[in-house]
Amino acid sequence: MMRKVYLAVVVLGLALVVMQHLASASSGRAVSPEDFAGACAPCGAPCPVKQ
Amino acid sequence: MSTVTLATPTAGATTKIDRLFLGLSVIATAILVTLVLLDHQPASGALILVGFCLGIAFFKAEFSYTAAWRRFLTRGEAGGMIGGLIVIAVAAVAIVPVATLKPQFFGGAIAPIGPSLVIGAFTFGVGMQLANGCGSGTLYTAGAGSGRMLIALLGFIVGCVAGSLSLPTFLKLGGINPILASASFGPWGGLAVTLMSLALVAGVLALVAHARGGNYRPSRNYVFGGIIIGLLCIGAFAAGGHPWSVTFGYTVWGAKIATALGFDLSHAAFWQWPGPKHALNSSILSDTSSLTDFGVLLGAMAAAAAGGSFASAKWPPANSLVAALIGGLLMGWGARLGFGCNIGAFVSGVASGSLHGWVWFAAALAGSALGIRLRPLFGLSRD
Repeated sequence: MMRKVYLAVVVLGLALVVMQHLASASSGRAVSPEDFAGACAPCGAPCPVKQ
Repeated sequence: MSTVTLATPTAGATTKIDRLFLGLSVIATAILVTLVLLDHQPASGALILVGFCLGIAFFKAEFSYTAAWRRFLTRGEAGGMIGGLIVIAVAAVAIVPVATLKPQFFGGAIAPIGPSLVIGAFTFGVGMQLANGCGSGTLYTAGAGSGRMLIALLGFIVGCVAGSLSLPTFLKLGGINPILASASFGPWGGLAVTLMSLALVAGVLALVAHARGGNYRPSRNYVFGGIIIGLLCIGAFAAGGHPWSVTFGYTVWGAKIATALGFDLSHAAFWQWPGPKHALNSSILSDTSSLTDFGVLLGAMAAAAAGGSFASAKWPPANSLVAALIGGLLMGWGARLGFGCNIGAFVSGVASGSLHGWVWFAAALAGSALGIRLRPLFGLSRD
């Protein structure tokens, strides 16, 4: 049973990732939220003094 | 080490390769790498492959922050925790100086220090003991065939989205800007301070273990595993430009699923910040965190399938699954408020010389102490 669940999750997950990627505009290199101006944390949150 | 229900081969036993899942993991990895290479993004391919190697390394070393912290808190054994510090020390040797000397190409994992960080890390600590896995642990054990951790991962993703909606409110509680060792002492002085802080904490852990009669020597697995994982952290840093992070990927996955289901997150304050906004509107394969996450999942799957029958264990009892789900939810919510998990906030934060990493560690360890007390409510042992 667990194997069947895993099989479904992996196949479905891979299909979703591929479809989402192909449906998205090419955005160049992979980025992290920290790459954007004003980011003060890995998730892109601003610094306290800038709020 | 890790106490989740993984089918691991025993010494001397004949191992039979699970060709279905080994093949599936390799083919899925090849498809993802091909997709990013078709977009002319070799660094993205490298991130997937680094993640794949991380998944193998974590699985083979049975590297578990959750179990190591629990052994320290319940039995006074510090070997696993000191093994975890080895990862950070190795990674710091590259991250602190390079992020300081080449800021146009690289950046460290920094974060502000305030109530949000402390509340988030504490909540994460509770959750990691209930789920029996942390950020990296959930990822690799779910990939390696633990159905229980698949449930924890589901909760983690939902919790991350909930946390993304809560974070802006908690940030209003205040805080101070990131404090970086390299900002005060320069690249090499900052590295020295970072390594000294690691040595100091390792020393304190060893003293506590000695006083409590526990072992403080890391096992061979943790020493070699720690060095290899630390080197792979440097690989992720080199390919992505930032230290390894895990949970922002979960947040993006959850937000994209929620959007597909009809929820509009675009007006939420978190998703209007430039980084999250870009991630929500772009390919999932353009987010560095997601790339390594996919690699870790598939690498752990390949390692587990190569070592025997994959996902062949029975489902654990319902109360254990409930604990996994609740633990995942708490970790997800806590990771967003605490600016990451044991990888993004603790390992990468300290390896960047950022003080928030140590604050996160202290708060999450306190949360773990509470989480351990709650484990019996779900039929889980305190050990």
